[in-house]
Amino acid sequence: MAQEVLLEVKDLHVHFPTADGLVKAVDGLNFKVLRGETFGIVGESGSGKSVTNLTALGLIKRETAQISGEILFKGQDLLKLNSEELRKVRGKELAMIFQDPFACLHPFYRVGDQLVEAILCHEKMPKKQAAERATDLLASVGIPHPKERFRDYPHQYSGGMRQRAMIAMALVHNPDLLIADEPTTALDVTVQAQIIELIEKVKTEFNIGVILITHDLGVIADVAQRVLVMYAGRGAEMGTIDEVFKSPLHPYTWGLLESIPRVDSKGTRLVPIEGSPPSLINKPAGCAFHPRCPHRFEKCDKEIPAMQDRGGGHPEACYLSIEDKKRIWAEREARRTKAAS
Amino acid sequence: MDQTMTQAASSQDPSRGEPLVAVRNLTKRFPITKGIVLQKEVARVHAVEDVSFEVYPGETLGLVGESGCGKSTTARLLLKLIDATSGNIFFEGTNITKLKRREMRPYRREMQMIFQDPYASLNPRKTVGSIIGAPFTIHKTEGEVKKRVQDLMDRVGMNPEHYNRFPHEFSGGQRQRIGVARALALRPKLIVCDEPVSALDVSIQAQILNLLEDLQDEFKLTYVFISHDLGVVRHISDRIAVMYLGHVVEVAAADELYQNPKHPYTAALLSAVPKGHTDTDLTQRVVLTGDVPSPIDPPSGCVFHPRCPKAREVAGSAGSVPENCRTEFPPLGEVSRSHLCACWYPLKEGESLQKAAHA
Repeated sequence: MAQEVLLEVKDLHVHFPTADGLVKAVDGLNFKVLRGETFGIVGESGSGKSVTNLTALGLIKRETAQISGEILFKGQDLLKLNSEELRKVRGKELAMIFQDPFACLHPFYRVGDQLVEAILCHEKMPKKQAAERATDLLASVGIPHPKERFRDYPHQYSGGMRQRAMIAMALVHNPDLLIADEPTTALDVTVQAQIIELIEKVKTEFNIGVILITHDLGVIADVAQRVLVMYAGRGAEMGTIDEVFKSPLHPYTWGLLESIPRVDSKGTRLVPIEGSPPSLINKPAGCAFHPRCPHRFEKCDKEIPAMQDRGGGHPEACYLSIEDKKRIWAEREARRTKAAS
Repeated sequence: MDQTMTQAASSQDPSRGEPLVAVRNLTKRFPITKGIVLQKEVARVHAVEDVSFEVYPGETLGLVGESGCGKSTTARLLLKLIDATSGNIFFEGTNITKLKRREMRPYRREMQMIFQDPYASLNPRKTVGSIIGAPFTIHKTEGEVKKRVQDLMDRVGMNPEHYNRFPHEFSGGQRQRIGVARALALRPKLIVCDEPVSALDVSIQAQILNLLEDLQDEFKLTYVFISHDLGVVRHISDRIAVMYLGHVVEVAAADELYQNPKHPYTAALLSAVPKGHTDTDLTQRVVLTGDVPSPIDPPSGCVFHPRCPKAREVAGSAGSVPENCRTEFPPLGEVSRSHLCACWYPLKEGESLQKAAHA
């Protein structure tokens, strides 16, 4: 059975005019998110992962950015909605969890009251009933003693509990799609493990789609089913976890995988990607990764490679032939295993 | 050598010679005061409690733990940036705990620090040249400063022509290189790296880690490397000390610690790390319940006992823990050769915490 497509991003461009020039934060991006899956987006800072999702939520103002393309949510183009229409979708069918749970709850209001406000904003019901629902939600995200905790202020919550409260708030209207932007980056590993489990549980119980944005490849590999690797505002590679992590086809993905010290083995010298990410104002011509790519050739600085399946089984954006890619990755893997033993 | 140092050095490994730094029963408690004029102490934050370890010349000692476990406070105590409440610090056998500012000067040259945030740790109004050159000026060294600064910049992979630029003109990775150059300026013996790569993107992080490794080989440096990223710590460290709520709960060689953790907290911490592209079964994960308790009022006995799955298994019934876990903090003792663990019921070889967690 084909799964329902919840979100489809088509040729999205988000450009910010600034005094220094046009910042091309997102520059031609395409992807789909299905119901029931966790779709991971990885990339380094400035790769456009957050801007994409803020645009989907209508949180980037038209006055400050030039936006083109389509973001179809259940068949409806979010970019064509006016703010009134968007408000009906946002927070109801489309919810978001942000990175910093310390900044996302209002310090002057009780956590429970903030949840009640979120409930009443889309649904008319007596306040008492809303409060009961909020307490149930706090319990369902694993906050102990939800009745007492309902009356606490955010500062009385720990980091992990605040993130749980944020998840509860995102769930108040049973959304179809949950966007989690670096939900565990500010948390310690043991708390991170708790939150990841909770997001998994929520996904299965509510049968929703989840977009998980992170720079942590480990988190993605653990929880996502499909992943999009972004570089300088464009997709570099997209596929299932196995495809991208076991047989990656883009030199940037190779570089990322080799840069990470692994917990499971002492490993050897890391192989960093040379140089640093490009300026989004003066992007390199052609493939934005070519100045840092050890496998570049003449064609790379001429034309931007399209994101397509070049015979490797999943879409990627690199001009190398599929035989070359397979050979180079096998060589790099062999070199690493040899060095490790 | 000071007598107390030899006495307390139960864990000292004779094959490695004299430790460069030895820490004995180090404790730091920060007072919490009430009142404006007449300040009354109402409570104390138990930041570091009775910590002992040593760092040998040329090695990298990793300090890991979650936020608030006292890693950074330990580092600051080591460098005497703050004074210890009790305990002693020995540098090359000399007790430096009670030294005055002026007496401390010669030792300051030998111990330097690299900070976490390359945006906050560099003065935005000073040029790169004067930032890296400051240690030379402060310690009144001979020779031409500019030349030496440019050599350093070259050594850490920066363009020496950027001598007169300001920090804001550099990316995060380049700024961290400035921090490394500054720490390296006086050719110290010890560099304390406090989360030096946490603020950097992975591709840049690898560059800085490689740089730190190269410099260690070239200048025979000793590192104390603090990080919450267990992959990074394993990669760079020879030995690792795990901290929880101010206590060092386990010390072992890096490989030994990861393959054969003895302390239930270490085991839980390691299992919580997303394994990435390895084929680890997710069900192996031990999710600890609850949060780290407050260091203002730490639990009695072993500070980990309220969250410890192993203690519950030993006690047999749900919700109870063995008597000694509740009443007495276990000493950091040797469980196998140069593997120290502070636990009454350390995990046996091959024992899985998973079973305990579900019991």
